[in-house]
Amino acid sequence: METFLEILSPSFLLFPALLGSSVLGLVCPLVGAHLILRRTVFLGLTLPQIAGAGVAFALWLQQMGLLSTLGGGERTVGMVGSLLFTFLGMGFLGYLEHRGKGLAEGRLAAAYSLAGALTILFIVFNPVGEVEILSLLKGEVIALSRTEIKILFGVFGSVLAGMLLFRREFLLASFDRDLAFLLKGGNLFWDIMLYLLAGLSIAIGVIMAGPLLIFGFLVLPPLAARPLIRGMTSFLSLSSLLGVLMAFFGFYLSVRLDLPLGPTDVALGCGLVFLAYAAGKFKTKLGAVACILFVSFFAASGCSTKVSTPLPLDRLPKESTIWLARVRNSTGLELRLPGTNPLRSLAEVAGKISAEERQTVMGLMRESLAEEFGQRGMQVSHPETRDKRLVAFPGSVAESVKIARESQLSGLLFLTEIRRWSAERQFVRVWVDFKLVRIEDGTLVWERQVQRAVPTPAAGHLGQAYTDAIKEIMRELFAA
Amino acid sequence: MDGPHPLVSLKAVSLGYDSEPVLRGIDLTIHLGDLIGMAGPNGSGKTTLFRAILGLLPILSGSLERDCLLSDFGYVPQSSSLDPNFPLTAGEVVEMGSYGRLRPYQWMPSEEKEKAKKSLDQVGLSHLVAKSFFSLSGGQKQRILIARALMVNPKILILDEPLAGVDQESRKAITELLIKLNRDNKLTVFFSSHDLDMVRAVADKILRVDKGKTWWESKENPAL
Repeated sequence: METFLEILSPSFLLFPALLGSSVLGLVCPLVGAHLILRRTVFLGLTLPQIAGAGVAFALWLQQMGLLSTLGGGERTVGMVGSLLFTFLGMGFLGYLEHRGKGLAEGRLAAAYSLAGALTILFIVFNPVGEVEILSLLKGEVIALSRTEIKILFGVFGSVLAGMLLFRREFLLASFDRDLAFLLKGGNLFWDIMLYLLAGLSIAIGVIMAGPLLIFGFLVLPPLAARPLIRGMTSFLSLSSLLGVLMAFFGFYLSVRLDLPLGPTDVALGCGLVFLAYAAGKFKTKLGAVACILFVSFFAASGCSTKVSTPLPLDRLPKESTIWLARVRNSTGLELRLPGTNPLRSLAEVAGKISAEERQTVMGLMRESLAEEFGQRGMQVSHPETRDKRLVAFPGSVAESVKIARESQLSGLLFLTEIRRWSAERQFVRVWVDFKLVRIEDGTLVWERQVQRAVPTPAAGHLGQAYTDAIKEIMRELFAA
Repeated sequence: MDGPHPLVSLKAVSLGYDSEPVLRGIDLTIHLGDLIGMAGPNGSGKTTLFRAILGLLPILSGSLERDCLLSDFGYVPQSSSLDPNFPLTAGEVVEMGSYGRLRPYQWMPSEEKEKAKKSLDQVGLSHLVAKSFFSLSGGQKQRILIARALMVNPKILILDEPLAGVDQESRKAITELLIKLNRDNKLTVFFSSHDLDMVRAVADKILRVDKGKTWWESKENPAL
């Protein structure tokens, strides 16, 4: 990811996920705007929670073997549970609303509490796969497969079409129910249509992106748009625009700064709301424009503080030796590649073979670096072959150079430090610092920080994911 | 009070909520070209009667006949009954009057936009088309809602307390507008107010509502 605009390129690996995120940002605010205007915004909080309970319930049933005939993966099962619970929940809340007993806020608060409690209970009932369930509930647009992105496009495209086609009917039924009755013959059909679209987008959105992000997209862009405009058309348009901005900048910040997407988007959305209300005090369109520009500039400048460059191989003297230091591991984790041979695993359990004999991410990365340098005609050596004391270098460049000089090394010293390495579904979150230093004068010739989610869609197991991530990082470092 | 071609006719109608009558024995006919004012204190059932005529409230007993469609009613609610949470321009509020004629996939046709402009011209507020509806004064909001009702192409205009919360200047403008719409446009107008003097000054026929009963007041001799 060399520049800010690179993520807009269709060749960018996470481009489909960015599209998915943007679709959510485009459509959810249109639904959320109506919930806010109808003063049923708590429905936007409660329904995602109910949908989450549905996900946990469906996965529990699957674990019990009761949904084995359904087919499909965990996400499909979760989606069915999400849809079922969302529409049942809406129907039940609608029934209570129709009876008109008690406060609407009270009913929603009770439903929210119940759904939250049930979600936890269903997770507890499920003796296996707790992490997977929590991961599904958390939702990660970034980890969506192409098929899931297509489903997302289909569902949210339909919701968008519905919201645009029936915009007048929804507005009238929300704003003036008496006039809607006179002109359109009733409100019930349009209420059902609106809540159907809301339920569909929430149920599918929760399984794709998690309750937090969906609630954020539903509510925050319309709240930010509200003080900036005075017409309904511009309100809906600006809500969608701010939703897309929130999705785009949130996505970029999340990938660039290695932050979880949901909280990043929501925090950004809250920032937009504060800025919008501040700009709204000016009571001019200029204030609104300035607000959006400020946020855009802030996000863009914040994201582009580090411009990454590949290794300047053509400027490195070929006769110089590159001393490839052992890769430092600052994660506190072993980062050992899991064994794929069951016999070997059994032997490890039996104590016949040490687990330490398995390859590590650090070792694999060093091997890959040596191979890449070698393929480009560079002379690579390992410092410990010259001096056995050089098995590890400190984190400081100055200290490392000093030690290298003391051991009579000359040429270039290549330092690598892994600060974060964690695998998630279909990607590995990494933070690795690379530095190339001239030993003679201690000059930092080049440095690079790779801090992002590296997609590993083809990996079938953890070891493959680690290997694929390292390959991807090498491609980035040694790009022509 | 009977005559040819009644638009709306109520005979021995009782109205109320949860089977509890609020108004009993209502006999009322509204003819084409009528300018009727309904006067009564707050809470006497004026809005209840309007809601029944508009089909928004089922009658408890008696008969109610309409010689027109529900979409032929131009209804002007009290502006305070509308939620100020909605971001709407005055123009957008007026355009709502055309929604009954538009299909979901249709963009607003130019003739409808033209009609909205004419409706705003009729109430003398075309210069406020882009203003936020809820930032307008009470009188301006009421006139915008009248323009919205005119957009419906109504046969009968029903106005619920059009002068409530309206300053003196706007009261004059609205009453003149109602008379003009009735006299010049031959529009049937039925409005309510708790201000009996105002009703007497504007309406041709005066319907009194109080203590669960309705009766016609003689214009010439109010005591009758």
